[in-house]
Amino acid sequence: MSFTIEERGNPNTQSYRVFFKNAEGKYVSPFHDIPMYADETQHIFHMVVEVPRWTNAKMEIATKDPLNPLKQDIKKGNLRYVANVFPHKGYIWNYGAIPQTWEDPGHKDSDTGCCGDNDPIDVCDIGSKVCSRGEVIKVKVLGVLAMIDEGETDWKVIAINLEDPEAKEFKNIDDVKRLKPGYLEATVDWFRRYKIPDGKPENQFAFNGEFKDKDFAINTIKVTHGFWKALISQQTNAGGLNCKNTCISGEDSSFCCSSDEAKTVVEATCPCGNEDSIPLTVDKWFYYANN
Amino acid sequence: MMHYQTEERGRPNTTDYRIYFKTTDGKYISPFHDIPLFADDEQENDVPLKKFKKNENEVLFNMVVEVPRWSNAKMEIATKEALNPIKQDVKKGKLRYVANVFPYKGYIWNYGALPQTWEDPNHTDRDTRCGGDDDPIDVCDIGSKVCSPGQVIQVKVLGVLAMIDEGKTDWKIIAINTEDPDAPVLNSIEDVRKNRPAHLEATVDWFKKYKVPDGKPENRFAFNGQFKDKDFALEVIKSTHKHWRALVLKQAKAGEINCKNLSVCESPFKCDDEEAGAVVKSAPAQK
Repeated sequence: MSFTIEERGNPNTQSYRVFFKNAEGKYVSPFHDIPMYADETQHIFHMVVEVPRWTNAKMEIATKDPLNPLKQDIKKGNLRYVANVFPHKGYIWNYGAIPQTWEDPGHKDSDTGCCGDNDPIDVCDIGSKVCSRGEVIKVKVLGVLAMIDEGETDWKVIAINLEDPEAKEFKNIDDVKRLKPGYLEATVDWFRRYKIPDGKPENQFAFNGEFKDKDFAINTIKVTHGFWKALISQQTNAGGLNCKNTCISGEDSSFCCSSDEAKTVVEATCPCGNEDSIPLTVDKWFYYANN
Repeated sequence: MMHYQTEERGRPNTTDYRIYFKTTDGKYISPFHDIPLFADDEQENDVPLKKFKKNENEVLFNMVVEVPRWSNAKMEIATKEALNPIKQDVKKGKLRYVANVFPYKGYIWNYGALPQTWEDPNHTDRDTRCGGDDDPIDVCDIGSKVCSPGQVIQVKVLGVLAMIDEGKTDWKIIAINTEDPDAPVLNSIEDVRKNRPAHLEATVDWFKKYKVPDGKPENRFAFNGQFKDKDFALEVIKSTHKHWRALVLKQAKAGEINCKNLSVCESPFKCDDEEAGAVVKSAPAQK
């Protein structure tokens, strides 16, 4: 199963969108139409890459927009760029989401004590390759971190690109500790401090910031997949979320979207154009002592 | 303040690529020999050693940026080529890219050289007890802005690290771009230690480990890897500036170093604009 992207608008501006198409050229929602599993028996999942490693632009699946393209998050009217918190440069993994998952804000998680953040579950790909925005890769899940971001449950799945040259060596979270020492510590550190330059407090974690293993992670993903199924079958109130999709719901569902309707959605956005430059302030390196 | 332009030849990320330097009048110069060490030195270079003595707190230097922060291509002033353009280092026939040593991405400062300085391989440094690495003295600019290769910036010197790279003296000056918003409050290595301690520690760590992915051992340092302060740094710069002067006046052995220059009056290597123009014209065309 392969996917391609179609860029609209100008990168590094508010008009920028990344739409997704399947191998047949049909527009798909990266939230609802890309299957969660790439290989169910082997527990290989799809990952939609939102932010390439070492970049700063906070690209996200637009959960409230039809067809849920990627777009750059906006805070206080400005395009959001995540700070460089020393010694890190931008994001320290390829960062993205597992499709067909949802952290339900109406559900209070028993481990974190908090409700879901209303988004697909997040995933960090620790592989060598720097992926591109909108790339859909296959990943092996290795573990998970239970972050509480501004009071909401925000699991961070740790995974590796199946095509990574070392992928075979990684079977569980302990392999990450052994083969990439320092990476997991840096991951907690990054998530703990990444919003401090924006004036937010340090983030917190359940389980004392310890990583849970593969089985726990896969179970967590399955739970969020269950929440998504309830969402897409209208058993759960969608709130502001847009559940339009081209591959899932039946013809009589209000969520069903025909190819023509999908095309109209895409064509309503600005045509693809030149990218704007990134503000120089994004290069600033913030120095904060670890607590 | 002097401004410089660059002229690219060949294609980036290939062995042909060169960055030549010009004055604003379009005259080709060497970034090694013709850009003044001192930032406010508008005239020709005679008796500059006096500068070290008066008002040392305000001494500003020119820095030739070779490697932008966070990039990997090992760009260097080509000391053995005429007019010393910047080019990418080649090792074992391949273009050299410095490894990303976790948690760092590429270089963690804008990295480059102070012009008109030279670490003489035939001079054994009394602190490191090694001969020089045959290059201009290296500088790490800890300012926020990411500069470009070939950019000439003015820097304030804050301190120095005494690295011994593969058995050769390889001082690393710590400095900050004078245009950086923090420059006014950073006047010594102590200030850097207070303001951004992690960056100094990371600097030693980076230099210690950066060649390990290439199969080389960890690098060593004099003074136990401690940073020396500004005054010490100024003395080191003074010394390498003297060695450079001896080099271009043919009082020291140049080895393979190309000393062609446009501005050092008494230098037997001084050439004219026509000759300089011919050097650049013979380089592969841009792109």
